[in-house]
Amino acid sequence: MKIVAILKQVPDAESRLRASASGVDLDGVTWVMDGMDEYGVEEALRLREGGLDAEVVAVALGPDRYEEALRTALAMGADRAIHIESDEDLDPISQAKVLARVVEDEGAQLVFTGGKQADWDSSALGPAIAEFLGWPHSDWSTQLELAGQQVRVRHDAEVGTEVLQFPLPGVITTQQGLNEPRYPTLPNIMKAKRKELKRLPLGEVEQVEARTEIVSQTLEERERRGRILEGEPAQVAQQLVQLLRDEAGVLAK
Amino acid sequence: MIDFTLTEEQRQIQSLSRQFARDVIAPQAARFDRDESYPEEIVARAAGLGLLNVGIPQAVGGLGLGMLDEVIMGEELAWGCMGIYSVLMASELGITPVLLAGSEEQQERFLGPLVGKPSLAAFALSEPDNGSDAAAMKTRARIDGDEVVITGTKMWITNGGLADFTVVFANLEPEKRHKGVVAVVVEKDTPGLSYQKITGKLGQRAAHTAELIFDEVRVPVSNILGEPGDGFRIAMRTLDRTRIPVAAGAVGVAGRALHESTKYSAERQAFGQPIGNFQAIQFKLANMKIGLETARWQTWYAAWLVDSGKPHTEASAIAKAYASEVAFDAANEAVHVFGGYGYVDEYPVAKLMRDVKLNQIYEGTNEIQRVVIARGLQKA
Repeated sequence: MKIVAILKQVPDAESRLRASASGVDLDGVTWVMDGMDEYGVEEALRLREGGLDAEVVAVALGPDRYEEALRTALAMGADRAIHIESDEDLDPISQAKVLARVVEDEGAQLVFTGGKQADWDSSALGPAIAEFLGWPHSDWSTQLELAGQQVRVRHDAEVGTEVLQFPLPGVITTQQGLNEPRYPTLPNIMKAKRKELKRLPLGEVEQVEARTEIVSQTLEERERRGRILEGEPAQVAQQLVQLLRDEAGVLAK
Repeated sequence: MIDFTLTEEQRQIQSLSRQFARDVIAPQAARFDRDESYPEEIVARAAGLGLLNVGIPQAVGGLGLGMLDEVIMGEELAWGCMGIYSVLMASELGITPVLLAGSEEQQERFLGPLVGKPSLAAFALSEPDNGSDAAAMKTRARIDGDEVVITGTKMWITNGGLADFTVVFANLEPEKRHKGVVAVVVEKDTPGLSYQKITGKLGQRAAHTAELIFDEVRVPVSNILGEPGDGFRIAMRTLDRTRIPVAAGAVGVAGRALHESTKYSAERQAFGQPIGNFQAIQFKLANMKIGLETARWQTWYAAWLVDSGKPHTEASAIAKAYASEVAFDAANEAVHVFGGYGYVDEYPVAKLMRDVKLNQIYEGTNEIQRVVIARGLQKA
């Protein structure tokens, strides 16, 4: 069986971003594999290590620098990688069309990707891939069991969780809690160099055009309210508790 | 051609080491510092990831990483804790004489068993009464049939007593001074070998440092590295290399000092604004950055010389002396930026200063580095 883990390379959460009229300035940013995609790579590896006869293929659609994230996946233990090269700002639905094509060409039966992609902050990619393939899917998954061709997945719902079941092939999007991704070990980093990393220009895989255009980008500015409460200590404390509970929502009601 | 681009592999090594330092080492560093205890679990995890004994050649099952790989890794790990990095660094120091002077058979016998395990090596040169003047050593060796017998005391030995093997330097013919020195591999649990852990260190308290006592310790003559009389040269050639990771560790500490200072000065308010708005603080940050960058490039340069098989004695001496001074200054300034909070262990910067003081001392004091540099200048 073939498992495809789709991944992205995004700015490290600690990176400082700047925005100008021409968009977000990504110079000097430290790039890492999207944390959510890491759960998918890890889960695929665990299935294989659990005795499943599976080949784990890491797939990414994006610019040159994505290769580093693919190398990380190879160093974690993926068997090979495919890089669909494109500098275009493709929207998630167009990306899904391309990636669904790769999954089909590979003859994969199980696809993992992050529950949300940090770059577009969209949750659409996994479900849209499932839609293009006509496969069932589970999003925001936190637990997975595979028995033969049957998948049982626990996934987050608005309040609480649900357990879904469906037969393969299928698409699973991940979420924190699914597993604890491993570090690539140094020996595996060295071995990764010898693993196959196939590069394909986007045009050779699928003809797509971005359906949306990014017109402008700004960064969220977080302003502190800096509210100062005044009065008798007992009153202030009471007021503070009330605000923390009702406005900030950090205390249980 | 000058090219500062790291290979894909080196970037992965850097990113793994960085992640490990941030997620695993840094959060636990204060505890090991406070308790002055050996970070066994962290060393085991590092070994599991392949971060320990990276210099062991591929021929005996190791990764055979180069010096540049090692310094890239070292800088990141030391960012998390210089003391914990010293455990790994001292093990590389211990294996280096075997790499430089050991036969294939010796490399297989001594280095092979370390691969993939949290097993350490150690290097024993300094003594209670001499450090920089290594040729004045009092530890004696004599040949008795097919055994070499060692008696004496070695001091300040990182991993001393914990290491699977220790390369010991002893004098066979004291009248010949440094030309009488022999380098011998002594395995753990050899009868007559004992150790005493040294406590009360100013910094690097997670690193296990010991006094090693050799009381008529007998090992086969096949444990001698090179020829009898080569020992001093082997020790010097070893240190010519291993000073570079000492520099890399210092660069890591300088980077941490800058990171903490930048963060703190953006948060801490004085006179109605963040203290980072004041030039007095900005200049400190800028100076830390100047030191950090220049020390890193000298360290990389020295490492590149080693990997290219070029002479590196002077470059490694410059890197070690310069990086450790720059890092001490950066840590000292970080303490100042933090003010009162810099003087207590609740915040990480006091430890940086305590830890990195040792980088100015061990593996050849910075004075000895200057002697090395000056000798090179006056040789012509």
